[in-house]
Amino acid sequence: MGQSMSEKSLNAAGVSVEFSGLRALDNVSLTLSPAEIVGLIGPNGSGKTTLINAITGQVPLAGGRVTIGGDQISGLSPRRIALKGINRSFQIVRLFNNMTVVENVESSALAHGVSLRQAREKANTLLAEFSLSEKAEDLAGNLSYGDKRRVEIARALAADPAFLLLDEPAAGMNEAESETLLHILSELPRTRGLGLLIIDHDMGLIMRLCNRLHVLASGRTIAEGKADEVRKNPAVIEAYLGSEAANA
Amino acid sequence: MKRHLLTVAILGGLIVLLVLVNQWLGIRLYDRIATNLCISLVLVLGLQVFMGNSGILSFAHMGFMGVGAYTSAVLTIPAQMKGMALPDLYPFLQAVQVSPYLAIAAGGIVAALVAAALSYPLMRLSDAAAVITSFALLVVLYTVMTHWSQVTNGPRTLFGLPKATDLPLAAGVAILALIAALVFKESRTGRLLRASRDDETAAAALGAHIPSLRWRAFILAALFAGVGGALWGHFITSFSPKAFYLKETFLILSMLVIGGANTVTGAIVGTFIVTIAYESLRGFEGVLNEAKIMSNPVIGLTEIVLALAMIAVLALRPGGLFPTREIGALFGRKKTRQENAG
Repeated sequence: MGQSMSEKSLNAAGVSVEFSGLRALDNVSLTLSPAEIVGLIGPNGSGKTTLINAITGQVPLAGGRVTIGGDQISGLSPRRIALKGINRSFQIVRLFNNMTVVENVESSALAHGVSLRQAREKANTLLAEFSLSEKAEDLAGNLSYGDKRRVEIARALAADPAFLLLDEPAAGMNEAESETLLHILSELPRTRGLGLLIIDHDMGLIMRLCNRLHVLASGRTIAEGKADEVRKNPAVIEAYLGSEAANA
Repeated sequence: MKRHLLTVAILGGLIVLLVLVNQWLGIRLYDRIATNLCISLVLVLGLQVFMGNSGILSFAHMGFMGVGAYTSAVLTIPAQMKGMALPDLYPFLQAVQVSPYLAIAAGGIVAALVAAALSYPLMRLSDAAAVITSFALLVVLYTVMTHWSQVTNGPRTLFGLPKATDLPLAAGVAILALIAALVFKESRTGRLLRASRDDETAAAALGAHIPSLRWRAFILAALFAGVGGALWGHFITSFSPKAFYLKETFLILSMLVIGGANTVTGAIVGTFIVTIAYESLRGFEGVLNEAKIMSNPVIGLTEIVLALAMIAVLALRPGGLFPTREIGALFGRKKTRQENAG
């Protein structure tokens, strides 16, 4: 799946989302190319998670469309979107707590039609990559928060997605864990050719990891472009630090 | 794999031990209890296949037990007895008479087909809606059994089934059910279904088709229930629709919940514990009534104690006695830890 998808871009065009009349996303457009890492940043409540939910079909669109290589995926169920090659992690970790770590990772591959044996091999490889091999037979619900985050990312990768959308992947990790994660994530576009969209509040991690940044505030795009350019953008500074800081 | 084999060996060994002890004792009452226990194992394992793996409470299970029992009855009651036992039977079924063993298999298949035809729309539902609709399905099946006198003899007792179920047969089917439940749990469908049980949103986001997974489990559960019902019919040889309703539903639910719905081990252990407790309490009730200790006869003590036990388990250990791991995995882990420590 990764091969054929890798030539196509994920494109959200003019996406709007409403909750009971409240516009959570307003005409947001974002493109994620294969082998590219894009950071999606913005203050709390700016619509970052909502955009991931909209792309992955968890919330319906009030306007706009989402496509992969021109094929519309908006309107499809989350399951069908996953089968099109988009996988994700969640802001609040959603593991299968009564299953073992290795079963969690396998489940993603199994959902994509991989055989039980191949799924086990793939899961073991990923667990080794994420330094989780020793915890393979532990129940996922008993892991530390940082380990849960890593299992969730490994699980998403087991499906060999073309695009991976990570919602605060480093939340709850200590500095060393965060550094290891950064290294793993930075290698993914090269080794797997996948496009990575990352939400995180750790600006150090975002700046080091991302090719491009997309900044949301109050459900609207206020800036996008290369990390250095975006960081100096007055609208971004104002959104994060308030108008006084922007004028200083 | 070793852990799964260990689980089969331990739990299967428990069933074999039951048969051997019973044959050694040679007491007729114990034979009846042990046979009923093995039939309950088939039913509870069926419930575990759906409820344990999907996380959805199902009340409909006993209805499919009834479908299996009546199917097997219609196929096996001798033609000359059908005039009395089933006076309204359709003419084309009057001459039908097959081997009880074939009919037991047919009971399972018909129950599975009925489940397949009725349940797919219900599999899209979750939480309370799913539970309520499964209860409604039980009511529908019970009402059909009570009123379809051409096949069931209506609310009256249906008699004349050949006695074909004995302890070795029931125990053999229970062991097959044990293996099938474990194989299903570890299959692709079982694993993805368990994933959806733990987190439906995350499972769907991975690409799992949850209604389809639930549907497959529901059909397999109905197959178990149908076989269990037919086995029971050929053990008891006469029954009426009320044998497949609320009291019996509560009993098998308590077996699964007390043992632990998420595991096959829980289903087996819960069935053993509740059956032993149930029979002991019934005996105790009889002793109390014979001794006339109370001014009025003691009725319902068994059900009340079972209900209290279920409440206690749900309050103190919501996952049951074996909430997450099979017994083979527990032994395997202990051994691995000891090896690591050594």
